[in-house]
Amino acid sequence: MTSSFARRTAIVGIGATEFSKDSGRTPMRLAIEACRAACADAGVDPSEVDGMSIFSMERNQEIEVARNLGIDEMRFFSMVPHGGGGGCGTVAMAAMAVHTGAAEMVLCYRAFNERSWRRFGSGVSGHHTGEEADDVSYSWSTPFGLVTPAQWAAIFATRYMHAYGATSADFGRIAVADRRHAANNPAAFFHGRPITLADHQESRMIADPIRLLDCCQESDGGQALLVTTVDRARDLAQRPAVVAAATQGVAADQWMMRSYYRDDITGLPEMGVVARRLWADSGLGPSDVRTAMLYDHFTPLVLPQFEEFGFCAPGEAKDFIADGAIEMGGRLPINTNGGQLGEAYIHGMNGIAEAVRQIRGTSVNQVEGADDVLVTSGSGVPTSGLILSVES
Amino acid sequence: MGTVGDEGVLDEAGLMALVGGVGAATRAPVPVDAEAIRLWCAAMGATDPAVLDGAVAPPAMLDVWSMVGMERGVGATATTDDPHHRAYGLLSDAGFSGVVATNSDHAYGRLLRPGDHLTRTTTLAAISERKTTALGEGHFVTTESDFVDEAGASVGTMRFTVFKFRPGTGRTAEPDGAAERPERPRPRCNADQAWHWEGMRHHELRIQRFPSGRLVHPPRLADPDTGEPAPMGPDGVEYDWVVASGDATLHSWTVTRHPPHPAFPDPNVVGLVDLAEGVRLISNVVGVAPERLEVGMPLRLDWHDTHEDVTLHRFRPAVTPRRDQPRPADTVVAGDRLPVEPVDVTVELVTGGAVATRDPQDVHHDPEAARARGLPDVFMNILTTTGLVTRWIGDWAGPGAVLDSVRVGLGVPTHPGDVLVLDGSVLEGTADEVDAATGRLELAFTAAVLRGDRTIGSHARGTATVVLPTGDRPTGDGEPA
Repeated sequence: MTSSFARRTAIVGIGATEFSKDSGRTPMRLAIEACRAACADAGVDPSEVDGMSIFSMERNQEIEVARNLGIDEMRFFSMVPHGGGGGCGTVAMAAMAVHTGAAEMVLCYRAFNERSWRRFGSGVSGHHTGEEADDVSYSWSTPFGLVTPAQWAAIFATRYMHAYGATSADFGRIAVADRRHAANNPAAFFHGRPITLADHQESRMIADPIRLLDCCQESDGGQALLVTTVDRARDLAQRPAVVAAATQGVAADQWMMRSYYRDDITGLPEMGVVARRLWADSGLGPSDVRTAMLYDHFTPLVLPQFEEFGFCAPGEAKDFIADGAIEMGGRLPINTNGGQLGEAYIHGMNGIAEAVRQIRGTSVNQVEGADDVLVTSGSGVPTSGLILSVES
Repeated sequence: MGTVGDEGVLDEAGLMALVGGVGAATRAPVPVDAEAIRLWCAAMGATDPAVLDGAVAPPAMLDVWSMVGMERGVGATATTDDPHHRAYGLLSDAGFSGVVATNSDHAYGRLLRPGDHLTRTTTLAAISERKTTALGEGHFVTTESDFVDEAGASVGTMRFTVFKFRPGTGRTAEPDGAAERPERPRPRCNADQAWHWEGMRHHELRIQRFPSGRLVHPPRLADPDTGEPAPMGPDGVEYDWVVASGDATLHSWTVTRHPPHPAFPDPNVVGLVDLAEGVRLISNVVGVAPERLEVGMPLRLDWHDTHEDVTLHRFRPAVTPRRDQPRPADTVVAGDRLPVEPVDVTVELVTGGAVATRDPQDVHHDPEAARARGLPDVFMNILTTTGLVTRWIGDWAGPGAVLDSVRVGLGVPTHPGDVLVLDGSVLEGTADEVDAATGRLELAFTAAVLRGDRTIGSHARGTATVVLPTGDRPTGDGEPA
């Protein structure tokens, strides 16, 4: 089975605020600025937007954003569940909506002050105090002190290291690549500040084996994307980034960041679900992709993504990424914006924008021959992914 | 110049003049005795067949035979004219009536057997200047004792230090700050899991069982194999379970460090645990230092009452059984670790240990007496600490190993309710010297105190010298370590 909307829609506008540790304004203001910028980028008046697609944890409701953008009528508004796993999912929803005619012009956005307001990395202790199944699910971990995203991820990392002989330095190579790319990106928080593997190894433990420099940044900022059909895109200001494929993924015994009860916890089977559909819908394979924006909230969960997408066999990511393979000039530079460790943590939406720039040929770290770019969303959660292509 | 004490003046000059004095040779009140050996083995958890039947005394009992013993009555002390006894008396009379042992260094000669009867000669080796510790202000008093048998041959020596302190001058606050700590986040449940949490109140780790026999954790609404929901009964959904055996291994883990959470220890070890029944759960792993965590390590179920009405499971390292084969010296290298062993400190262990080591001091069996000395409860005596450590080393070393010496330095006192975590390794640099000729190696050990869910400090640390069997030296039959 393949999806009928493959290669029928495109991201036509991208817009973001600056990325910072203290935006000095409200998340709603950031959302409005990002959405207006995305419309301006596409040459579309915000009043032409008739749909919105966001993901859960987004607290800037679409009706508020619509009111403030001057949108009078909307006929498509959708929320993808499970936080950071929903990033590419918002584009999948938008693409399906515009392809089916449910809407013509759909905004996808994410905006927050996750550094200067409540820090995102502080975890869920004190949350989930009800008795619904979702609340209850956290009781299998929270009372034991496993409460932050880094801690959840660390359990997978320890087992992965044990199973495959990966080391902290292997995780560090992801951070080094991200920070090298960020160093070249004026929009990145860590512009001009690359790190070495030694810096990574000296950074303090957050939750063994995850070090400070394995963790994405808590950031303030907003990122918006505008989606319409390929036909409509031809009339707009930018070279369209065609959505060759976009899909979501859940696998057996799926939990939010805590899928600890599967026989084998060294993989990301939900990412495998995404991978198989993306390759099938796009007609592409690992060897066709020159660059990828792989979700990098915590470096240990980047490694199994290479494996789930077939860039290498299970357990071999540490070898695949060695020797600068994932840095500029290597065979698969990743996160050319600096990723969420180097540019900003905008819940993966900034990675989609970077993929659009690669397709347009406007990235600060432009990869030659980047005609097809892979993007993934949150790892360890119900997730999503997409492949953007130049219009053929 | 004297110092005014609670009950008198300390004659410091007179006190210091006693240093170097040698006491009279004193015959031990009891001979080496099989029943006393068996009692000691029971208290220390010894399973070594070489000592269990009482035919040979564990070397760590060296000073047990010369202890005053319970037969003289509770709180009895020797009151001789020996210099060290005079020093203790001078200090007590000046208000330094509290006493705790701080160091015990044994060096052993030949093994002792029932029928041996020791004579002890004690020299007052040193008295420290006034010191202030957590217990209060006082003086460290060090003695050196030589033990000889009836033929006059030396069978061991001991250097022993006590701290004579003025009760009430120390810190009284709980060392772990338990009072200020918020409660852990409460687990939440509904009818689909309430039976599981209810089991924990009874120290039952309940694993959901479906009619097909399939075991599942965390609980589900339906059997993952058949898709059949748990059956409905007259009173609603009928949940079924088995009670976990408690045997487990560590599937994965993390140590949470930042941000610290005030309700949890810092650092806090969270484990993903495989139960022997084939299901997995998140829990805490206690009684093992983070650097000793290993995927696959055997664990044993334990319990932690975290709230007035909530009990959580937790796991500790499973106790490694005593080695039943000789451990050849050439199989040991520097850095080898001894298996971590958590020991529950109970009233039975503290008091039974005091009785088994012939220690009549009331602070080891009478909580009121302990509180009068400024301690919250009865505490373990140093002979029990030494006994536990040497028993544990012997269990690692196996048959044929001989304990040559042990040096124990005490830190924080340990009380009933604590878990004493024994950990140790073969000292770097010494294993190279474990030459095939002697089989002698030095071990370093610690005994950390786990109180509640926190490691509050080190109860004891020290070293021991063990002689392992070598290729040239036939392993002793029945020679204990």
